[in-house]
Amino acid sequence: MESLLVTQAINVVYEVLILAVLVLGLAVVMGLLNVLNIAHGEFVMLGAYTAYTVQKAGFPYLAAVPAAAVVCGVIGLLVERFLIRPLRYDPFETLLATWGLGLLLRKLVELVFGRGFRSVDIPIGGSVSIFGEAYPTYRLVLMAIAVVVVVALFVWYARAATGARIRAMVGNPVLAEAVGIRTRQLARNTFVAGTAWAGIAGVMIAPLTPVEPFMGLTLIVNSFFALVVGGMGTVTGLFAGSTIIGGLQSVLSASVSPTTAYLAMLILSILFLWQRPRGLFPRP
Amino acid sequence: MFSSITTSRRSLLRAAGVGALAIGTPILRSAHAAGPMKIGVLIADSGPAALFGPAQRAAAELGAAAINAKGGILDRQVEIVFADAGAPPAEVSKSAVKLMLSDKVEMIFGSHDSAVRQGVENVVKGKIPYVYTPVFEGDDCTDNVYFLGEVPEQELQKTLPKLLEFAKGNTFYLVGDDYVWARTTNEKAKKYIAQIGGSVVAEDYYPFGAPNKFESTVTKIKSAKPAIVLQTLVGGDNVNFNRTFADFNLSDDIVRLSCLLEENTLMGIGKDASKNLYSALGYFADIDLPQNKAFIGELTNKYGDKAPQQCTISKGLYDAFVFAAAVSARSKSLAAKEFAMAAEGLSFDTPSGPMTMKRRHTEKNIFLSRCDGTKFTIVDTFTAVPTQQSCT
Repeated sequence: MESLLVTQAINVVYEVLILAVLVLGLAVVMGLLNVLNIAHGEFVMLGAYTAYTVQKAGFPYLAAVPAAAVVCGVIGLLVERFLIRPLRYDPFETLLATWGLGLLLRKLVELVFGRGFRSVDIPIGGSVSIFGEAYPTYRLVLMAIAVVVVVALFVWYARAATGARIRAMVGNPVLAEAVGIRTRQLARNTFVAGTAWAGIAGVMIAPLTPVEPFMGLTLIVNSFFALVVGGMGTVTGLFAGSTIIGGLQSVLSASVSPTTAYLAMLILSILFLWQRPRGLFPRP
Repeated sequence: MFSSITTSRRSLLRAAGVGALAIGTPILRSAHAAGPMKIGVLIADSGPAALFGPAQRAAAELGAAAINAKGGILDRQVEIVFADAGAPPAEVSKSAVKLMLSDKVEMIFGSHDSAVRQGVENVVKGKIPYVYTPVFEGDDCTDNVYFLGEVPEQELQKTLPKLLEFAKGNTFYLVGDDYVWARTTNEKAKKYIAQIGGSVVAEDYYPFGAPNKFESTVTKIKSAKPAIVLQTLVGGDNVNFNRTFADFNLSDDIVRLSCLLEENTLMGIGKDASKNLYSALGYFADIDLPQNKAFIGELTNKYGDKAPQQCTISKGLYDAFVFAAAVSARSKSLAAKEFAMAAEGLSFDTPSGPMTMKRRHTEKNIFLSRCDGTKFTIVDTFTAVPTQQSCT
């Protein structure tokens, strides 16, 4: 029984961290630029297919990380230039446009790879014993990377000059431009960083999920709810949202039933959208 | 005054039109009878089952070509009208109405989920024969509907006792998607598990179509230590669960039987996660039967390297054409009563071997397969497995 609890506790942490990794790119783009990138899940999917291709070609799995960042970053760059910028970063118009973009990306991948499932081999096999319980190594490695990335982002955003510029741009774009911040470039870089990170997240989760053209659709659901609950534009919100949504899902799923867990998450998200649409820790 | 004249002219025209139609109808009907017979085929072009779409289309086209080569149905060549069954049931029902009213199809064949089937049944209302082809939960006796797929009784009654030979005990853990097929299959499974002296230690259901993660169930399985995990998960959930199961290192000691694991899903599960995983179905693309060799041969001839991977879900549509041709050769009519009488007890040959229609379901071969990497190896074949269904 005790061993069961230990493993279930690790499962909860795992689910929270994986969700944080998936939400990250979406949170950056949505929270800082007010663009709800509906195609976020498709960028994750592209990352996963990049991982599949890299592995299939016989390269080491780590090579998929820069490859996916480049693939998704370049597509992000084109999307920013020809879709988001012409629509003046308008929240509603870009929402519709990225919805269409998602459709297009799914169909393109379907054309190249077909509709079937692809499997990506786990790059690091085996398991590690934690308090006498074996836990898959790859999942532990992912958890470690997730912690490092989220903490690094937190520190960077709070301290680095670019973080300060982004905060200035978000707070008052006109004034920011007046003091010499090149907001257009900054917004572009932020958007591209978001899509590139989504690609890397895709590489990270590819060995754990079914890789198929529609995988992004299911991935974006929880990510969106995590943003709603946590609040947009703050790293604290990102972490709080992932913890509440991922934790709730994982705990209820283990203790009651997976269907109840899903229902509870939907109800919670609806309550937040209704009563507190800015979430727990929104940008002030 | 002017308006009343136009009105009367309109009604005059309308009357003339109706007259022309009334006179024209008999002529049209005979012309129609000589023309091709249209058959509506519902396949998954979109939605969660869309990965089967291309294979379903190919199987249906091969089926139509095969019977057309032998003279078609009632001496008429058949022509397929495809419609998408991947939408919600209400939408697909509308497509079925359109198939009947504007495309004038004379039969409908469908490979889709049960919710869609019930929607289609409600609009077809037994007016034309409706042949439903995939694996399903059974217990449906709607008039003029014929079922070619595997019911849970067929998947389990012979395979569960056989599976005990490979397992280290007879305790079962059931895991499935939370919808009618999985829940019904598991209820029926419990009966067969009791018959072989086994017991069910726990069961878990996951919301259908949700972003599921299976770590918690796999952890529970690890602690409950069942001998067999019986799965009624479909598509991505099936892939996800089995990969998680293997990651947690359970595949050496625990045998898994999936009630819907076909070629595409196994590709997703991958070679590292398929050890001690079994599947019980009425068809596998690799079965060593001359009928299947011919079927796969035709497929490769027509589509070459691009031939979509066949599986039980798609191949059923080929069977539907064979079945309809065999029945109508006997009934000489597509009228409900004659069709039903001719169908009962009729045997017909399919790529998975002979099938016999009994009480509107088919007795057929059931294959128990073991996964070796991403291929299936047949470990046992059960012939003419009864359906235990009671439709009249």
